[in-house]
Amino acid sequence: MTPEQLKLAEDRLRNPAPGSRIEAAKKYGIDLTLIITQLRLTPTERAEILESASEAVEQMLGIARRRR
Amino acid sequence: MQFKTALHALCDAQVEFVVIGGVSATLHGSARVTLDLDIFYSRVPANLKRVVAALAPFHPKPRDFPSGLPFIWDDATLRNSSVLTLQTDIGKIDLLAEVAGLGGWNDVNEQAITVTIFDRNIRTLDLPSLIASKRAAGRPKDLEALPELESILESEKQ
Repeated sequence: MTPEQLKLAEDRLRNPAPGSRIEAAKKYGIDLTLIITQLRLTPTERAEILESASEAVEQMLGIARRRR
Repeated sequence: MQFKTALHALCDAQVEFVVIGGVSATLHGSARVTLDLDIFYSRVPANLKRVVAALAPFHPKPRDFPSGLPFIWDDATLRNSSVLTLQTDIGKIDLLAEVAGLGGWNDVNEQAITVTIFDRNIRTLDLPSLIASKRAAGRPKDLEALPELESILESEKQ
């Protein structure tokens, strides 16, 4: 995504047009600022964060299972 | 889940595959966390052997497979299963031969894009196809992902 495309995407996510899918998602409860944060990253950065997050979740699930 | 290790293994073994599911969503900008890697792969015999070779070092077994029972990880096992949900030493990997709403290998591969991650060129579904697959899968967890993915698609429209 070019800087101009990213800016346009951010504007749309910060100010959803009435009747848009983005507005519907916001009403549904989607945190649009998280999408903006993700779009600013490269695909590799997104994948690295996913790997860290998934390992953290798996560790927490393991701890929770052992406590049961 | 060690996504990097898994993707390196598949790429380095020259496996023909397309990343679908939650990891594909992440690559498109989703903030949701997934704990497994969904792989759609070509079913030509040579590719089945490559999948087997790539994942063998991680000791794949079907999830919830009774311990003590033998499981043979080979191309015949792959050939006889259109969906394999595997537990491996590096995490959960799902191998799929069909994608709901998208069809077979040629259809899916045509709708895939190339993304460079972890120093490898990975094929993954384009965003409209990913949305179509989630809608067709129809499970609650797939449908819950739609508002976010549709927002990303709408935000990126030219």
